[in-house]
Amino acid sequence: MTFSGRAGRIDHAFITLPGMTLVVVVVAVVVAVATYLTWLARRLDRLGVRVDAARAGLVTQLVARADAAAALAADRGLAPLAAVAGQSAAGHPPLRAGAPLDTGVEETENQLSRALRAPAVASSGQGAPELLHAVDSAAARVALARQLHNDAVRDLRALRGRRLVRMLRLGGRRPLPAYFEIDDALPARAETPGPAAPAHPADGAGPGSGRPGTGDAAADLDDRPGTLPETAC
Amino acid sequence: MRIGLACPYTWDVPGGVQVHVRDLAESLLAAGHEVSVITPADDSDALPGYAVDAGRALPVPYNGSVSRVLMGPVSAARVRRWVRENAFDVLHVHEPTAPSIGLLACMLADGPIVATFHTANPRSKILTAAQGALQPSLEKLRARIAVSEAARRTIVEHLGTSAVLIPNGVSVAAFTGARPLPGYEPPRHTVCFLGRIDEPRKGLDVLLAALPELARRVPDVRLLVAGPGDVAAVRARLDPALRGRVDLIGLVANEDKARVFASGDVYCAPNTGQESFGIVLLEAMASGTPVLASDLDAFRRVLGDGHAGRLFGVGEPAQLAAGLAELLLDDAARAALAERGRAVVADYDWPVITEAIVGLYRMVSEDAGPVSLASSGADP
Repeated sequence: MTFSGRAGRIDHAFITLPGMTLVVVVVAVVVAVATYLTWLARRLDRLGVRVDAARAGLVTQLVARADAAAALAADRGLAPLAAVAGQSAAGHPPLRAGAPLDTGVEETENQLSRALRAPAVASSGQGAPELLHAVDSAAARVALARQLHNDAVRDLRALRGRRLVRMLRLGGRRPLPAYFEIDDALPARAETPGPAAPAHPADGAGPGSGRPGTGDAAADLDDRPGTLPETAC
Repeated sequence: MRIGLACPYTWDVPGGVQVHVRDLAESLLAAGHEVSVITPADDSDALPGYAVDAGRALPVPYNGSVSRVLMGPVSAARVRRWVRENAFDVLHVHEPTAPSIGLLACMLADGPIVATFHTANPRSKILTAAQGALQPSLEKLRARIAVSEAARRTIVEHLGTSAVLIPNGVSVAAFTGARPLPGYEPPRHTVCFLGRIDEPRKGLDVLLAALPELARRVPDVRLLVAGPGDVAAVRARLDPALRGRVDLIGLVANEDKARVFASGDVYCAPNTGQESFGIVLLEAMASGTPVLASDLDAFRRVLGDGHAGRLFGVGEPAQLAAGLAELLLDDAARAALAERGRAVVADYDWPVITEAIVGLYRMVSEDAGPVSLASSGADP
């Protein structure tokens, strides 16, 4: 590269041209990075909204299940069920106010799940089929709402776990939402109630001990079909 | 509720997803909801009153057949306007992994969005590769529906998330009480087949291979074959001695499908693969026609392990011939199967399925605002 005669002017151009290019490149990169980060932040925001909505939906269904269980217990004089349903209902006002769905809540709701599967509920529920049906469909809706909640939590945790998001703290100071893990297997309702109803394999699992509540995406994937029974609406 | 349905494939081209969206829309309307469908269409004048034209779709080969997809600026503008003007309580997109209106709606809208996944594709490299690009859109979905166990598994394996299983619906009423086609009034011994006649996976060849043996056992047996394809080519392949037994009637209009089923004593589904659901089996059951189907996973599920319809080994003409002969000659067995088939199909009746879907709509839309345009529709 020899530009002998007009070296001065060429030198000048050499300084400005790369300088200009550099400025343009830097600006472009800054704009691209800013756009990308804004977009990431918006995704996080949107997922936060989705998690909140799913959480509210789940709480609504937990309340409805406890109500239905209490109504059945009162009608059929099922004292143990009434006690568990009352315990569950007592925990709901704080949940509605935004208290976390923690292991304590999981424990309480698990007890209600188990109480609803008691043979006594199936047999004496025959006397009030409508109330029993209401309990069953409320239980099915809890299972569904829990699935939607955990799906939302999984998506948010996946994005919050990205290195860039963690490094730049795009997730803000909000704590990572936790999965809500309860044993919500539906009560089996055979045509003929009583001891013939199959014992549930999940019965023995303690609260939160069956599946890790903090497990990551793949571990939490439920391999059972998320069937929506017709009673769920 | 105000419900928006986004259909990915051209409305006037026959296809399972389009039929599903149409039936769902009409069932929702019948249940008193407000419904608007946005869909690609070739002829926008032919669209029903509840549907909006999203533009013309381009044919693209995908998953072994030709799909017609649509994702241009014109359709994006139409989808945007449709979302903005309708303020739906719920937006229900179909097949959001296909590059078409479903995905577009998902990208452009925000709020209570639900999606139905129709395709079952156990080894989709495309889907796995596209997961990262799709995730920003798919993570907007408040609920995911899979129409079959196979479709659900595809979602779990490729998209790393779960789905609620709500099967395809069948309009039971549309299939009940149809008259047989002329010349097929009982008494008769007729086996009917419905499906593309030149698509090997539909298995017409298996049925034709079973015919000689079947004709030996049931001398007056006839085959009624309905479905699109090259009729002359299939006829030319037939053994001349058997040609008189096989009626190839070509493509039948949707409303005549019920009459095809009503014309058969047995409906035969000799498919050899690639079936993820088997809606046609349910239609036959709704018609009260006993079913003999190949033992594919999807068919086995629909038929309750052979309880609501019989099964035979996939691609086994000898087994098929024996099974058909047995059924054709046993009136009591056929009546029992028809009875059990009707009971099974009741669970798939559109009003029942729609109720389940609306239950999900309510769950995602409760306390949520209406569907709006995303603050920034375009991805960087």
